[in-house]
Amino acid sequence: MFTTGFKFFFGLTIALAIGAVAYGYSTGGEHVGPVTLGWKGGVGDHVGYLVLIGGAFASACFAGIIVAFRDADPAAQSHYMGVEAIAPTTPVTGSFWPVVGAFGGAAMVLGLVLGPAVFVLGLVICSLVAIEWTMDAWADRATGDAEANKALRDRIMAPFEIPVAGALGVAVMALAASRIFLNATKLGAVVWAGLIAVAIFGLGILYAARPKMNKNVIAGLVLAVGVAVIAGGIVTAVDGQRDFEHHSEHHGDDHGEEHGEDHSEEGEASE
Amino acid sequence: MTMTESPPSEAAESSAAPLPAVGGLYDWLTTSDHKAIGRIWLRFGALSLLFFSVIGVLISFERLDADAIDVFGGVNSYFQMWSLYRFGIVLMVAIPLFVGLATVITPMQVGSTNIAFPRAALAAAWGYVLGSLITVISVLSGGGWGALDGVSGDEADAIRLTLLGTGMVMVSIILGTICVVTTVVSLRTSGMGLTKVPLFAWSMLVAGSVWVLTLPVAIANIAILYIDLSGGAGLFVGAPNPSFDVYAQLAWILDQPAVYAAAVPVLGVAGSIIPVVAKGRQVSHEAMMILIGLAGLLAIGGWSQPFFGDERDTLVYIAFGVAALVPVLASLGGNGATLIAGEAPVGIPPAHMIGALGSMLLFLAATAAGALRVIDPLDLIGTTADTGVLNLVAVAAILGALGGWWFWAPKTDGRLFSGIQGLGAMTFLLLGGVLLGATDVIAGFVDTPDVLLASADDSLGDAMIVLSMIGSIVVLLGVLGALGAISLAYVKPGEADDDPWGGHTLEWATATPPPVGNFAEPPARVRSEAPLLDETPGDEGGES
Repeated sequence: MFTTGFKFFFGLTIALAIGAVAYGYSTGGEHVGPVTLGWKGGVGDHVGYLVLIGGAFASACFAGIIVAFRDADPAAQSHYMGVEAIAPTTPVTGSFWPVVGAFGGAAMVLGLVLGPAVFVLGLVICSLVAIEWTMDAWADRATGDAEANKALRDRIMAPFEIPVAGALGVAVMALAASRIFLNATKLGAVVWAGLIAVAIFGLGILYAARPKMNKNVIAGLVLAVGVAVIAGGIVTAVDGQRDFEHHSEHHGDDHGEEHGEDHSEEGEASE
Repeated sequence: MTMTESPPSEAAESSAAPLPAVGGLYDWLTTSDHKAIGRIWLRFGALSLLFFSVIGVLISFERLDADAIDVFGGVNSYFQMWSLYRFGIVLMVAIPLFVGLATVITPMQVGSTNIAFPRAALAAAWGYVLGSLITVISVLSGGGWGALDGVSGDEADAIRLTLLGTGMVMVSIILGTICVVTTVVSLRTSGMGLTKVPLFAWSMLVAGSVWVLTLPVAIANIAILYIDLSGGAGLFVGAPNPSFDVYAQLAWILDQPAVYAAAVPVLGVAGSIIPVVAKGRQVSHEAMMILIGLAGLLAIGGWSQPFFGDERDTLVYIAFGVAALVPVLASLGGNGATLIAGEAPVGIPPAHMIGALGSMLLFLAATAAGALRVIDPLDLIGTTADTGVLNLVAVAAILGALGGWWFWAPKTDGRLFSGIQGLGAMTFLLLGGVLLGATDVIAGFVDTPDVLLASADDSLGDAMIVLSMIGSIVVLLGVLGALGAISLAYVKPGEADDDPWGGHTLEWATATPPPVGNFAEPPARVRSEAPLLDETPGDEGGES
């Protein structure tokens, strides 16, 4: 009846609640305050007590949800599906998401000191990991067939993953390319833009001409171009932008529309 | 996080193909096999052990003559490295080595195909690695757990980063421990009631529960410190310049009784190894379980936080300090009785036996020193006796973990480690641990101060500091010997049978190295705490 997940969260609830009470008393809690959430006496240090008791409540909610919905409990599922045999289960498959989550956590830790941008990046990574991890955990137990599980997972997640990954890829490439253009001379920027465009166009032509080409070769070429552009972007971003000529001082702001070329350059420079 | 885990019988019925074997960077990053996950903990723990052993030698070298020797470049840097050593040797070495060993061994001991929540276990392992790196790098960048002479600017940021890195390590330990504890509680094979759980798995259940209960309190301390330092409220520290108060607020986790929790698994390692060496059953398995449970109970320490209110002269603190000696002493007696009652071969003892017994002796010395330390008239608190107890516990845990690693090497690494090299390394660690810890305790009797670089006002104290430094060097030699032997085992792997020691518990029923899924078929119904002795042909009664 009680799944492992329920036991985990129930145990965590008990541990956190006891920890909160112990912490409350050890930091100056009075009477029965730490036991009654501060109703009949002080709870000691408020911040630590709140963190622990909040964690206990959150864990209790998770435990309740898991036991209520019989999440991935083969016996319960079989019961509700009206079949006698317990659905065969599959081993947990390997996944990148745990290590990505660890890096996301590290980014959040670093961000708390280095700045909000890094923290938000970590938060976004952890949020994505939470979604992907949840879906993987569900899909692993969906049927007894590992291939079917993978197909089921991809059918649900691919419509989200591919556009998001594509948008992120385009954004990273655009950012990297813009750093290269801003670092190069005017003529150099044109040359670089041409080269990148030719590379992308060339890959497209190659794939169109040889649609049955080994996918590893295509993946390798795409990866090589992508890594080259991103590496170039990082190097040029560190190196900084070229010196820009500023021609707009003798024109007033109210005449800005007449000198769009100059302003667009300044706009690039301030990116 | 995977929320459920299939019982072994169901997993065995699975129609799915087995998971791929582990190898290469890709598999290190994605594996869901508990043995590979445990190896991440073990290997990074071993590297951390080497790093912190070197730091320990440098610290004890500087203590020789505070005026003439300046290894770290100032009193503040000395304090940073001193506190890094103390937090590191417990939180980044001793406990992680046991978490790693348990991640590999406990699922097999309880007859499970995998650990509970394998993906969470993988995240915990990498979280530990990253958290440790963040902590160490931040300390080397001027951070640490406060400062003796006040800091500002970038150093304050580095201190906050140190705190957060420490918190990340703690969270990772909690997560990894929850996976181990849940495995022991929920994934036991048929017939294995809690009273039939092998002693190492039981000790991890006890110690893990204490860690899960204790570390969140320390994380709450860190949260308070971080908010306090960031907001500049100065509620608990001398803001705007963080001072020694940062360390003082977290020091309880390195002090008795909390620090004993790091060494509780030592009792389980010894309880698993000694009967195998003695070639007989543990004299009283249930009594050993009770003693381990009692040791864990007396290691709960979140309630004793001297920074917020010094309970160290209360009756409870004194009672905890004295009582902690009892289960360790009784457990040592129980293992001794098992050795005497068994048929242990005469001759050079195996390395894992030296590790098991040596770690128990060091743990006993730590609790004995702790019992003396709580006696108020002796006035040992605040002296080098604090460090002495910590070092005795830490080396006990390290020796126990290495002894366990030697014993279970066929299952953790798929090969045997050199017995002779192991014997030398364990002996060095035992002798070094005694020198390192006991001398600091003795120096405490002549009021040699802890933390500060003040010379002892006594020739005995000076002599003890010299001996302590020699002890730290001997410990380092032991660590180098142990890690060298492990490395050599990969260069020249020794043949290992499935059960080279004549083990009693289910991990020895698997192949060497264990396959993914651990067991080719579900283990037979367990009838006692030593199921492999029950399976002896012609012995239906369960007694060998």
